[in-house]
Amino acid sequence: MQPRLFFKPHFSMFFENLSITTFLPMIKHLGIVGAGTMGAGIAHLAALAGIDVALYDINDTVLRQALERLKRSINKAVEKGELSAEQSTEAFTRIHPRTRLADLSHSEIVVEAVIEDLRIKKDLFKHLEAGSKPTTILASNTSFLSVTAIAAATRRPEKVVGLHFLYPVEKVKVVEIVQTVQTAQETLQCCHEFLNQLGKTPVAVADAPGFIVNRIVHPFHGEALQILGEHIADAEQIDRIMKAEGGFACGPFESLDAMGLDTSFNATKALFDASSGDARFRPHPIEKRMVESGLLGQKSGHGFYIYEQNNRK
Amino acid sequence: MTKKKQRAKAPAKKLREHHPDKAIVYIVGDSPMVEEHVALCSSHGYAVVYDLNGKSQILQTVDSSFVRKSAKIPSNVSFALELTNIDLERKRKNLEALDKALPVTAAITSSSVTVSATEQSSWIHHKSRLVGLCALPTLSKASLVEVAPTVFSPAETIQVVQRFFQSVGKEIELVQDRVGMVFPRIICQIINEAAFALQEEIAVPQDIDLAMRQGANFPFGPIEWADRLGMQQVYAVLSALHQDLGGDRYRISPLLRQMALSGTWWKRM
Repeated sequence: MQPRLFFKPHFSMFFENLSITTFLPMIKHLGIVGAGTMGAGIAHLAALAGIDVALYDINDTVLRQALERLKRSINKAVEKGELSAEQSTEAFTRIHPRTRLADLSHSEIVVEAVIEDLRIKKDLFKHLEAGSKPTTILASNTSFLSVTAIAAATRRPEKVVGLHFLYPVEKVKVVEIVQTVQTAQETLQCCHEFLNQLGKTPVAVADAPGFIVNRIVHPFHGEALQILGEHIADAEQIDRIMKAEGGFACGPFESLDAMGLDTSFNATKALFDASSGDARFRPHPIEKRMVESGLLGQKSGHGFYIYEQNNRK
Repeated sequence: MTKKKQRAKAPAKKLREHHPDKAIVYIVGDSPMVEEHVALCSSHGYAVVYDLNGKSQILQTVDSSFVRKSAKIPSNVSFALELTNIDLERKRKNLEALDKALPVTAAITSSSVTVSATEQSSWIHHKSRLVGLCALPTLSKASLVEVAPTVFSPAETIQVVQRFFQSVGKEIELVQDRVGMVFPRIICQIINEAAFALQEEIAVPQDIDLAMRQGANFPFGPIEWADRLGMQQVYAVLSALHQDLGGDRYRISPLLRQMALSGTWWKRM
């Protein structure tokens, strides 16, 4: 039987018509709040795309470390022949370290990449709103907090959006644009264009727990833990089966070990809470026990597998 | 229960060993698994007799002189594959017929994705010959196959099954005999989650596939996967999981159920 289309969310309709109907100015100035791994990664991308970046962090040391890392990663690109020496110097001069939020005021988009704490994010967005132009788009890189709640902390929720970059930022092409019920079409349009500028693939998502990637990837790990817990197969077997039968690049337990069990457990807990305790997202006791005992995966040298200098024994 | 125990303890009869170019394999079950396994076995030198659960369709196989369609089970079959996941009544009839027609020395591997192999062995008389198998469309191409011994399967039967799969280029992975096994359970739960997301209109189908391929490094998006496995099969696995394990965790997306029962699916827009 012919497959049929039975719905078409309004935001996707919008993206399809984008290139024909609208002209959008390029983004020239980007503000980034939080110079951790994600913030620095986004700064790297933007600088290479010719965008001026104001990189803010409350902590001067973190900021300096981020700049060191950025310098190294840009130099690495030169060594690999992806960039010329000139391009790399130019890119690096586009990144401006900042320690005052007010210095982000001329940005067209500000991306927030601070820790996953709703109270901190809400506070920050209030400050950002006060210290920026009324046209500035305020984007959050949250993985599992409610963008709607963050937007509600400001007086212009139509300018607030989620831009969920996935780790590692430089490698993963897809970025989720998270739209709340209040986000304006123009804001989405701008973000779409901005991601194109960065060479990323935008995907439109509604503001629901886990968005798309973190939500649908959950059964990959969660169901594997369930199978392990029911003693149907051991971790190594499950990994082998998923790779051989499913064609996955790595098995669920290898992937949990690489991600860090604490990170994964916190994400699952957040997803479970955000979905008001839906049984599908219930964190597994095995993972909880392992986190409690400090078996965190590769980073602690012991997770579902044992590692020596990041190599599996 | 005591009867079962006695049977389990009874010494199993030695099963016939397999030599490609001599042995006859009988394959019965759902399309397209039957087609895939006919191609696999015949390309490895087995003579194959198959039946598509009574359907009249005839397969265009590579070497047709060694491949024959027949609803009647030849008595000289040395290895049988039962690959029905959807119609369990039919599966039961197939197994009863196989048990009756085959010599006691012939092993039966039966798909145990939607009903456990142990439950299946309660349907037949010679319980020690049956071993569970993970059979879903496209899996016959994998280098590895999940095999689930039952409480009645002696080591000899498992050995015969292992040798058979090695002879067609596959390693076996022994897992506990539970509905859904490993790969089908994980993959169908992923597809179910994608169906919930679609139902809630969180994103459009092609964006979900794209996001999962690029964002989570999946080889296929969940909707593509449902296309590959077939919605009826996915729904059969999810129903079996829900029945076996119960609870909200294995609740089936109403949209997925509707699509499977009506024979439609998203595919490309």
